[in-house]
This record gives sequence, C-alpha cells and structure tokens, in this order.
Amino acid sequence: MEKMKRILVVDDEEDMLWMLQRKLNKNMTDVEILAAHSGEEALEILAATKIDLVITDINMPGINGLDLLIEIKTHYHHTGVMIMTAYPSSVYKDKAMTNGGLRFIEKPFDIHELREQVQEVLSRNERFRGVVDGIELLDIVQFNGLSKSTSVLRVKTDETEGMIFFKDGAVIHAMCDQETGENAFYKIIAFQGGTIENMRGVESPMVSIRKNIAALLIEGANRTDKSNFESTSDKQNADPKPTTHRHDRNFEKNPVSIQSITKKTIPSEEEEMNKIEEILSEFTNIEGVHTACLVGRDGFILNHIARQNVDPEMVGAIASSGFGSAYSMGGQLGQGDLTMTMIEYENGPVMFAPVGAEAFLVIVADKETNLGWVRLSIKKNAKTIAQNVSV
Amino acid sequence: MTKAKILDIAHISFLDMIKSIITLSGPASAKGILIRNALATAEKTEKVEYSTLEEYIAAIEDSSNPITRIEGTSTHCGDMVFGLEKCPFECSINNYKEVFKDMPEGYASFTAEFNKSSPITNKYRVGEGAGVSPFCSVHQPLRSAIADKIKIGGKRISISQLGCKSAAGVKGIAQKWLDESGIHLDKVYEILENNMCCYHVKIEND
Repeated sequence: MEKMKRILVVDDEEDMLWMLQRKLNKNMTDVEILAAHSGEEALEILAATKIDLVITDINMPGINGLDLLIEIKTHYHHTGVMIMTAYPSSVYKDKAMTNGGLRFIEKPFDIHELREQVQEVLSRNERFRGVVDGIELLDIVQFNGLSKSTSVLRVKTDETEGMIFFKDGAVIHAMCDQETGENAFYKIIAFQGGTIENMRGVESPMVSIRKNIAALLIEGANRTDKSNFESTSDKQNADPKPTTHRHDRNFEKNPVSIQSITKKTIPSEEEEMNKIEEILSEFTNIEGVHTACLVGRDGFILNHIARQNVDPEMVGAIASSGFGSAYSMGGQLGQGDLTMTMIEYENGPVMFAPVGAEAFLVIVADKETNLGWVRLSIKKNAKTIAQNVSV
Repeated sequence: MTKAKILDIAHISFLDMIKSIITLSGPASAKGILIRNALATAEKTEKVEYSTLEEYIAAIEDSSNPITRIEGTSTHCGDMVFGLEKCPFECSINNYKEVFKDMPEGYASFTAEFNKSSPITNKYRVGEGAGVSPFCSVHQPLRSAIADKIKIGGKRISISQLGCKSAAGVKGIAQKWLDESGIHLDKVYEILENNMCCYHVKIEND
C-alpha cells in the first residue's frame, strides 16, 4: 500500500479553503488534504501530524505566511512549502531569483495548474527533501515584499547580524555593522547561513533605501554572484603552483594594485564629505529629525542637512556656545568629557554629541521623535565621522 | 599729591569678557565667537576699488584705506609684504596690565586653539602659528575679510598673515602662509623687529 501524503492548506479565506479541500486531491488517492484557517492553527497541525507540503497564503491575521515559512524552515525540515500570493511579481517568477527554493502560485489560479504543480512536487520524493532548507534569504525578502508587510527581518550569523526593514512590503531601510542603506542590504543578503527572525509591526526608524524590491534583489543577486566569482578566482590565484611564481612577482610590482590600495586607504576630501553626507542623511531619515549638522568646535559648519527655514550657520554658531558650555561644565564639575547631551524645547529636542576632538554633531528633531534611534545612530557613526572629518 | 591715572573700563571689561567666554564655553567656542564677531564687523565695511597698486599703497600709508582705518598705518616693505608698527589692541593690553599686571587666565589655551588648522582660519589665511594672543583672532580675520571687499585694477586681493609679535616680544610665524606666498622667513623676522604684525597682499588673477 502506498504511503499517504498530507498537504496542509492554510488560508483565512473560507471559500478558498473549501475549494482546495474539495478539489486539490482529485484523482490523487494517496493525498490527504488538511485545512487551517490561520497560521496558529497550521502550527498546531504541524506539531501533531507529519505534513509533506504546506500551501499557504501570505497575508493572514496573526501568524502570517512568512512566519509560518520561517517556523517550517526551523522545525520541519521535511515539509515543503508553496506560497499563494495575490500580488503578481515578475521578480519571483524568475527562477534564478527564487533559486528553486520556493514555489509561488499567483491568485486567482487555475486548480488544474496547481494540481499539476503539487503532483510534480510530491512525486519528486527524495529531491523534495530539504526544499525549505534550500530557501535563500532572497526568497524570504521577496516573500515579505509580496506580503506587503511592515516588519523587520533580523538575520543573525555567528559573526554579525543585520536588519532589513519593510514598510507595506517595500524595503525601506537596512543596517548591518557600521553600514546602512543599500550597502547594508546587499551585505545581509550575502550572509552564509544564520538564523532569521521576522518581527511584524515594527516600524523602521528611517528611510535609507528608495529602490524597489525587484531592483534590490537583482542587484543583490548580481553582487553575490560577483563576490562568489571573485572568491573562487582568489582561491585559484592563491593556489601555490610552481609555474605561477613568475606571475606572482609581476603582480607584486603591478602599479595598478598599488594605486588601488592607496586610493582605498587615503580617502579624498570629496570622499570624506560624501561619507559624512551619507551619515547625516541617516539622521534626517529618522522620522522627526529635520536637521543634522556637523559643526567644528569653533562653531563653523563643516557639513549639514537642514530643514528649509533653518540657518545652519546660525545653528553652528549657537550650538557651539551650548556645546562648549556643556563641555566646560563637565570639566568644572569633575564629570569628565561630554559624550552626548540633549536639550528639550517646546517643539522638540536638540541633541549634541562630540565626534572626535575637533567637531560635534547637532541633531534637531520634532516632538515625539524616537530619540533611541538618534542615540544609536550617534553611537554607531561617531567614530566614522571623526575618521572622515579633516578639519 | 599725584592724581591716579583713569583707566578705560571698556578695555578692561573686554579682556575679562574674553576670559569669561573661554571659561564658560571653552577655547574653541570662544575662538569661533571672536572670529564671527570680526567677520560681522568686516561685513559692515564698504567696498573700495583702487585703479593701481601705487594708489592702494598710498591709501594704506595715509590711513584712508579701510584696513588702515581699523588697525592703523602700516608700511609697505617690498614684495607686497606690509608691516604694522602698532598692535591695534595695544591700548587695551597696556590698560589692563596697568591695573592687574598679568593678562587674564586662559589666553594661552585660546591662542593655541586659534593657531590650529581649521576651515575658517584656512579660508582667511590666518593663525597657523601667527597668533600670539586672543586679539589676533579678531584682528587677523577682520583684515582678511575686509580685503575681500577691496579691488586693485578690477582684481580681487587676498591677505595672508605671515607673522605677529606679542607684547612680550615673542614672534609667531605662519609657515603655511609663508610657503604659500613665497616670502622668505628672514624677511618676516626682520619686519617684526620694528613692527608688531606682518602680512602679505596678493592680487588675484581671476
């Protein structure tokens, strides 16, 4: 007797569930269809019954499709997943992007087509094993985008961790180590392994990415491919074959290599300024922060992003006195060097923080601004600014 | 009975005010305040145009030039280098010393701060060693900023501070501006023997 296979269909739409339960296993005598109205119910069934394939909708109240996917990836390695989505996306149809890890089916779908796909998946037996393990982070990012969710995806490896923020399905911010924005995003999706946690309802503190998700995924995939290629090339170059000795010597003398190292280690003034502008925009991208100025300790502006009616020169001049006073007070009262200070006004706070010995940051925000993010950004960026500012 | 000399409280309070700013806000902030103050004063100066260099030098030496009017008469020592015989703050310093003997505290740290490289001192080509007291942070940028309002033969001029001498006779030299203007150090030392301040005027070609 053939072993019975079980498919769990998860959707909060009653009609869809009813239709799938009734029609999906037509002519498939060895397939049993189970149904769950929610992610929570699906997890209960998964815990109690061995399921071969989960077909889930993305958007559901409570535990949604992505949460379910992550749970399955973590705890049910032998269970396959198919995603039903009402949001057509040309990106996920690209096999290279999905890497074969996930199957998507677009609503409304033809039941015959779905049945064919299910039969194909179930008939692959051994190959089917580990399908979910094969899901790449790119797939999950895509999934989150399709779910139109507002959430943060936290990816952690032994060495580092990164966060990708979604707003209504769009990737709007990413942070990883000292980087934010697109570079952080690409860095995260290149992680090899690690754990994933999806926290829904978490609002991003800022907008650092404005590219659409399709463009991000394509660029991310290209970068990963390039990085893998370079890594392979490096290994090949490092292979200690006797015949390569002459080439090695030539390579050491190659002036192009020396130039590129020089350029990397001594950034030009323009590069320094660009880096600083990038960091200042990280502050102004925090909701409520409208002005971020980098000021020399003498009060003259070094760089700024300021709201239209704010005179940055004046901010610098006045802030220099305020900062200077606060700094002096620490010395006079034996409290040591100033690390950060905030003054609250009727319309919102002003924060000051020294960056190196020659400059300080002034962050001006509206009321209700999440100052925790400002503080975090200051702590994160102070060293980089100090390194990049050549007063 | 000898009548005591009446001192100018404006001079005395100005020097103490600088000290208070240094104490309350730190030398860097105090430096900024004094420089901004000088630039604001320069901003009030009218634009002037001279048709020839000779006309400019004559105006410097007969006190009709806007620079001379704020600092006193200076002498052209050749190569467009000028020597100013008397520091414009001399009266203030002497007045203060007549009452309190020593200058206010904090002036040394302020002067060190002024001599540090910074975007604003680079812009006006001052400091860099040519500062010998906090007054230099008013005087030197003020002169350079006034120069921005002067033209000779339709061309802009720029002034670089080459050196300065303190009341105690210590000479401060700005090697950076010496190198940039191509003036030899010996010439500046020589000028500072008989002058308190030494600067270079350049006629820009743009």
